Amino acid sequence: MAEVMKLPFWRVNVLTGLKGARVIEDPRECAGLIRRAKRPLFVAGPRAIDHYFDNGKTSLEYVLEIARLVNMPTCATAHVKKRMLELGIKPDSVYDIIEIINHLKDPDWQGVRKEGNHDLIVFSGIRCELAELGLSTLKHFAPHLKTMALCRYSHPNADYAQPILSDEKWKGYFEELVTNLQQ
Amino acid sequence: MVVTLERDDVSELIRPEDMWEPIGPTPMPEIPDLRNWSMRLLKTYKPFYAPFCDLCCLCTYGKCDLTAGRKGACGLDIASQQARMVLIACCTGLAAHGAHARHMIDYLIERLGENYKIDLGMQVDVEAPITRTVMGLKPETLGGLRRVVEYVEGGLIHLVSSTHTGQEGSSLDFEVKNLHAGMLDLLVMEAADIAQIVGFGYPTSIADTPLVDIGWGSVDKTKPVVLCIGHNAASANALIDYLRANDLEDEVEVCGICCTAHDVTRYSDKAKVVGPLSRQLFFLRCGIADVILTDEQCVMTNIPEEARKTGAALIAGSDKICYGLEDATEKETDEVVQEMVDDGKQFVIFDPEKAGEVAARVAVEIAPRRKKGFIDEAEAQELAKGCEKCKAFMCSQACPNLLPIQQGMQQAAEGSFDRLRSLFDQCFTCGKCEQECPRHLPVVKIMQSVATKETFKLRSGRGPVHDVEIRKVGSPIVLGTIPGIVAFVGCSNYPAAGDIAEMAEEFAKRKYIVCLSGCAAMTAAMQKDEEGKTIYEKYPPDFDAGCILNVGSCVANAHIAGAAIKVANIFATLPSRANYEVIADYILNRVGACGVAWGAYSQKAATIGTGFNRWGVPVILGPHSSKYRRLYLSRKEEDDWTVMDGRTGQLVGTQEPTPEHLAYVIETKERAMVTIPKLCMRRNDTPPGRQIKLSHYISLYKRYMGSLPDDLHHFVRSTRDIPLVYKKEVLPYLKEMGWKEKPALSLPTLIGTYPSKVRLDAVIH
Repeated sequence: MAEVMKLPFWRVNVLTGLKGARVIEDPRECAGLIRRAKRPLFVAGPRAIDHYFDNGKTSLEYVLEIARLVNMPTCATAHVKKRMLELGIKPDSVYDIIEIINHLKDPDWQGVRKEGNHDLIVFSGIRCELAELGLSTLKHFAPHLKTMALCRYSHPNADYAQPILSDEKWKGYFEELVTNLQQ
Repeated sequence: MVVTLERDDVSELIRPEDMWEPIGPTPMPEIPDLRNWSMRLLKTYKPFYAPFCDLCCLCTYGKCDLTAGRKGACGLDIASQQARMVLIACCTGLAAHGAHARHMIDYLIERLGENYKIDLGMQVDVEAPITRTVMGLKPETLGGLRRVVEYVEGGLIHLVSSTHTGQEGSSLDFEVKNLHAGMLDLLVMEAADIAQIVGFGYPTSIADTPLVDIGWGSVDKTKPVVLCIGHNAASANALIDYLRANDLEDEVEVCGICCTAHDVTRYSDKAKVVGPLSRQLFFLRCGIADVILTDEQCVMTNIPEEARKTGAALIAGSDKICYGLEDATEKETDEVVQEMVDDGKQFVIFDPEKAGEVAARVAVEIAPRRKKGFIDEAEAQELAKGCEKCKAFMCSQACPNLLPIQQGMQQAAEGSFDRLRSLFDQCFTCGKCEQECPRHLPVVKIMQSVATKETFKLRSGRGPVHDVEIRKVGSPIVLGTIPGIVAFVGCSNYPAAGDIAEMAEEFAKRKYIVCLSGCAAMTAAMQKDEEGKTIYEKYPPDFDAGCILNVGSCVANAHIAGAAIKVANIFATLPSRANYEVIADYILNRVGACGVAWGAYSQKAATIGTGFNRWGVPVILGPHSSKYRRLYLSRKEEDDWTVMDGRTGQLVGTQEPTPEHLAYVIETKERAMVTIPKLCMRRNDTPPGRQIKLSHYISLYKRYMGSLPDDLHHFVRSTRDIPLVYKKEVLPYLKEMGWKEKPALSLPTLIGTYPSKVRLDAVIH
């Protein structure tokens, strides 16, 4: 039984209820969850633009690589779209974080590709407290989908969360995830 | 039984014999009276809940976990529990403003009598637009304002009662009550500010109020310094009176934090504003204040302890905040002063005049013997060396803004302060990092070394918008040729402090009317351009296109809602008396106003925002405000945007999501920049007006998002709406989106689309 995330790095987000995230320590398991999803969606936030790893890559570049590998549509929140366009990638959808969550909680929403609502929502780069509250909305009001937080500070309100990671280990997690999705 | 006042009582209170306007359908409304209006709003702008806590801990059946469809022992579900928590917050906020108003009005009646006339000067005939519209009452005296408070107090009991276990069970009906609480809040704030304007002689009927000094660097620490903190300036103003009477006004420095600072500068332009509430602990730790005089709301609750740390004297001046201190109200003044000076005693003094006198005398006595001031970089470097570089990063774990404090400390320890300087701009000096630090490093004190010591200029609060200003701008606002009124309001829990000034200036340059209040007004003042000017020095202070005005403290927010009401009442000549639905409907459909509470943190801010929502004004909130748990959102693609055409009596499916949301959280300044112009669009915009609004939306979207707006097709009703400069780009886009011209209508209204006593012809003017 994997560890349930109760106390993330950021204490504002401490879990108060009974249902907490399953911590996915192994990027291979994470890759499996993403691959098994039928209609996943990657929601990218503005912190993914600004977070640079020591290899010069931003976390947004890992996000886009993951999405590309599994043909996962993207949702650019805040002002992420501009950066994506600069990288030569047009996001599949542009909603602010609250808007996309508001859509996702409706089981009848047709999703960003109009093929039906999504079954796995992967979040990365959203401001920590806002992401946690958005995940809380989906935990309570969207039982029809699963959420995954690719955030090194971890999120108890997600269904699947990364463990708390150092920057170096977070980069390693992304790289291993990418490698596994390539296979 | 739900109604507390019999209709005869209402008639007596609002004096139907005063025939200034016909009495509308909802004089002194109680919760059921405007329930249908609220439900109509909630039909389009559905509550969105983000549970901050999965539990309910409010009764002894609990704790009840409400996750995954579970209900509490009382039967409440998670949505209703969130709405209930919001109602508790809104009632707390309402009570804070209501108690402030009650104290202020009673105090002024004691000094001036209940027949003291309300006169807001030559430029303001419609003295109390909210009171007139909500209650049907035209207050003429301080006694009239007391009736407002009594009405609000009665309403508050019912609202609080609803939060008890085993009362309301519907999230929607909780929201009706939230909206009611918000309405009462703006009402009582209006009463509070009118009372203090007339009672203390604050500026009114002038726009060009004095530019006053702001910034901790503006405080002359060579003088005795009295720091006033809170929102009720009675004691602070009494202090000014004492200084004036004793020829000490130039000898003693009076400064303030939070809204008391706004209000004391409305009383004396020699007073200084230290800054917003977020700089409270920072300034207290500098020890510059010789005497701290607290009143009410948003005051740190451990000030006695903080005062002792620096040797500052403390007087608590409000029954809301007594800190367990000895009551010296009835003690001889000389004795109180002596005990504070000689023994360092702290007191609560409920008499503002006595509190003011004691504050001044103690400051003069103790100032010469106190060491005060900011630490320098050398001292900060030594302190920063105490950081043990713990692997847990406990400081960051505790930081509300998740700041990399340890990195800042490490660099400071090496003599480099740039990182720390940038952290200070985002830091609100709550001090939680110090608590969690294994070595309790004095982070807030270390921050003193990098804080700017500059003096900035803030325009002091001007109170109500003038009737003549409304006559001038009413038409262009309603037609849309003034693209909107943007009000930056609320507290200072921002993602970054510089955002407010930048956003305010952007929209002033674009000829919006920019209003500010409270801590947002202060924060906006603390940015200078290359020429060393703040936005208040650069832009005219009128309620007009391209101007920037500061209405004043929190309670002065009522004047922003009041301005919107006056557009309906003065410009459109709609009767406002007890005519809430007609006026709110007009604002929702015709007055392109948008509030921005970028740093809202308090329960009061939640109430104020909700109050604006009931008037039909959308409010953008900063990211921290997601913790309020509830928003009001539409889904533009899916929702039904049918309204009534008031002239034809026909329902029209406008397909036009304006305004798109009522309460909306945004993560970044860039996104806020593109959302503000969108939320200023209204169905009533004429094609030239919509062209102007779309022009701003498109140009900002292109700047921050790199393309045409992804939802542009929703806001173009006909090709006449397309700004000429963008026509070549927009037309192909519309074609690609399969855009079709939207139905036109002449008088958009929600009246007639829900059960109401209001007849459709009431909206025709």
